[in-house]
Amino acid sequence: MADVTLPSLGESVTEGIITQWFKKVGDAVARDEPLFEVSTDKVDSEMPSPAAGVLTQILAEEGDTVQTGARVAVIDESGVAAVANDSPAGGAATEAPSAAPTSPTASAPRAEVTVNTGATGVVVSPVVRRILMDGGVEASTVTGTGAGGAITRRDAERAVAQGPTEEVVLALSNGQRRMGQHMSVSVLSAPHGFAAVEVDARVLDDVDALGRETADGFAITDESVITIAAVRALAEFEFLNATFADDQLTLHRTISVGFTRHVDEDGMLVPVVHAAAGLTLRALARRTAELDDRLASRQLNADDLMGGTFTVASATTAHTLWTEPIIIQPEVAVLSIGAVRQVPVVVVRDGVAVVEVGRRVILGLSFDHRVCDIAAAAKYLERVGELLAGLDVASER
Amino acid sequence: MTVANEVQKFDVVIIGGGPGGYAAALYGAAAGLNIALIERDKVGGTCLHRGCVPAKEFLETAHVRRTLEHSADFGISTTGVKVDFAVSQARKNEIVDRLYKGVSGLLKGRKVTIFAGTARLDANQIVTVLDGADAGVVAEGTNVIIAAGSIPRTLPGFEVDAKYVLTSDEFLDLDKLPATAAVIGGGAIGCEFASMLADMGTKVTILEGLPSILAGCDSEVATVVQRAFKKRGIEIQTGVKITGHTPGKKGTAVNMEGAEDVNVEMVVLSVGRSPRTQGLLGEGTGVEINDRGFVVADGYMRTSNPHVFAVGDVVAGTPQLAHVAFAEAVVTIKTIIGEAVVPVDYDRVPWAIYSNPEVAFCGLTEAAAKERGYEVVVKKDPFGGNSRAQIIGDTEGVVKIIAEKRADGSAGQILGVHMAGPWVTEQLGAGYFAVNWEATAEEAAALIQPHPSLSETFGETLLALAGRGIHVG
Repeated sequence: MADVTLPSLGESVTEGIITQWFKKVGDAVARDEPLFEVSTDKVDSEMPSPAAGVLTQILAEEGDTVQTGARVAVIDESGVAAVANDSPAGGAATEAPSAAPTSPTASAPRAEVTVNTGATGVVVSPVVRRILMDGGVEASTVTGTGAGGAITRRDAERAVAQGPTEEVVLALSNGQRRMGQHMSVSVLSAPHGFAAVEVDARVLDDVDALGRETADGFAITDESVITIAAVRALAEFEFLNATFADDQLTLHRTISVGFTRHVDEDGMLVPVVHAAAGLTLRALARRTAELDDRLASRQLNADDLMGGTFTVASATTAHTLWTEPIIIQPEVAVLSIGAVRQVPVVVVRDGVAVVEVGRRVILGLSFDHRVCDIAAAAKYLERVGELLAGLDVASER
Repeated sequence: MTVANEVQKFDVVIIGGGPGGYAAALYGAAAGLNIALIERDKVGGTCLHRGCVPAKEFLETAHVRRTLEHSADFGISTTGVKVDFAVSQARKNEIVDRLYKGVSGLLKGRKVTIFAGTARLDANQIVTVLDGADAGVVAEGTNVIIAAGSIPRTLPGFEVDAKYVLTSDEFLDLDKLPATAAVIGGGAIGCEFASMLADMGTKVTILEGLPSILAGCDSEVATVVQRAFKKRGIEIQTGVKITGHTPGKKGTAVNMEGAEDVNVEMVVLSVGRSPRTQGLLGEGTGVEINDRGFVVADGYMRTSNPHVFAVGDVVAGTPQLAHVAFAEAVVTIKTIIGEAVVPVDYDRVPWAIYSNPEVAFCGLTEAAAKERGYEVVVKKDPFGGNSRAQIIGDTEGVVKIIAEKRADGSAGQILGVHMAGPWVTEQLGAGYFAVNWEATAEEAAALIQPHPSLSETFGETLLALAGRGIHVG
């Protein structure tokens, strides 16, 4: 028998809410196969199974808040698909003492059965579905009067008679809610300033010529190339690699860079590459690739999302000029990287101004106006441009 | 495997292994629940061993005989047709046994723990096996499902002796059929028995206390059956008040108030089924039982104790049908594991009576629709004009559809589909969908029925209901 415990979710995180079990009691599970999902105030993560075998007990129900280290399930590694005879509830009460979940555990079947009555959006008949569709009415906006809240033909016809759905109320996902809370706090607490500078991005011609892969096989993105320059420029602009809280500016010796990442229908996450100051392009490319892998497999933990001192927000489409990102609190600045574009540029050849094809990128900086101003921001961005132009891609990749 | 008095814990303990109980066990086990099922006799319950399944085998025997009797119509002569009912009885037992083994195998395959014996539910979801091979076993369920089923009701003055007076339990064990019989109770079970007996050559009298047989059916459908029965020599006396019976040398006389005795070899009681709840509940279970002994449950099959559910014949106010029990079992398990579920809509479950002619229906009867305040549009189509019905030589019957009348007088949503006639139990599906999907006459009429088929009669009725028929006005 192997105990499944709630692993550490990050240094400052002591508990999480079990939001979903991917396996049920009696299911076979492979080692490292996603077993359950846990939600913290930072992120929703899928937890891999620590062992291969058969899930014999689930000790923490969906919705339970569980302390890290607490037993949440038991896996029978002998691989026999027999289900434990003793009730999970009983087992948890006696065997998970100090590290017990904060709410009482329950067995797989829910102790108190709650049932929705007068639910919205329950469609059981294809005929009703078509009436709603033809009438332009979203099922989720209709309260059913049938058994179990089912929308009857009469309900549907009444709803259609009232006209097509103008508004649909959507519940926010956990991620969207977390993003919203953070952004609201940031906008309300920090007066945002913004500056943008167009810089030469010809160095990316070198990247393209040498290949978009590091020596150890990780993808080299525009973002990582420009971030290298941005991180190095921070050495000269210490007040931008800082946190501001309680009227106090704290400069950080280490540079930990967060990268904004969109999560489909779940808001935005900002995974952090810690201690990035000394990284070469190759190392940064590897570190961001690792974070992105964990993001894709929902394996990011709270530590991955904490401790940032500066943030980079990259263009996600080919024609984005710049964005005006909101500062990730309690940091003081966030760099916006526009799309790297081929543009006509004026150069002087033999005393004559001519138009050539060049590569440019607009860098922007959202900054906390209590700490920085437009002049300083523009100066920083110009410096990033210089360092970018001088980057020795050949030796760093 | 059991140690006396040691409490064995399960996610769900199910009392009774009939359709409701075994369906809950299989469906629950498929959902990963650890399940114990306690059965006093054999899994499969009344339906498989003493109800639907054996009765249908006998009715099929009657069908074969009827076919042979009419074979000359097809130019196939059969002489010396002999009936050895014991062979049919043995065949029935074989079928039942095969199905029994099937259910047992499924339960074993899903690792359901089966205890043999009669169960009693006590407080805190503790279930004790009182007798049988596993007497003394104590099982505790996080949740308990009562699926204890029902037993045939009897009448005062009619001691069941398996000789003169039989219920369905005894009737289905007969090796030899009587020359004369009285069937007391003209409901679904009574009509099936009467039909079968008549087709097998028994002189049958149906005695019904209500004004007509098949009281729950639409009256026009009941009339079709009544007419067909009378044509086959079944005597039907309705509105009777039976007082008892007087056994004689070669049979017994059924006594009635204000009517002549009916002298028969055998009396078959089919006057409904009582819940098997006597002795089922100990102290402090918190489970409410109504004055007729049925367990009270809500649409999610929850009793007044939130950890105790009830399914099947034992539930108050719901149709005593195996397929309803199956559906209730699914509702129960989904409720237990917290999945979204829509309760069974009891007004719209399918009904099937396997008499000759068969009856099948779903939704409201014309009378019930009017009682509920609907203005209705009704269309009927007899099977007489149906090509397939003529080919199989079985044209007796009708399809009747009841729809809500719209303000302009046209037929709107279909409220009920009622059928009597050849193979209607197999034809009801389309009507069942129409009623439960809340289709209108036009919506359902736009769909095609194959030709030639018995189901065209349903299609024709829909077309007529939608305003204009092809063959029917």
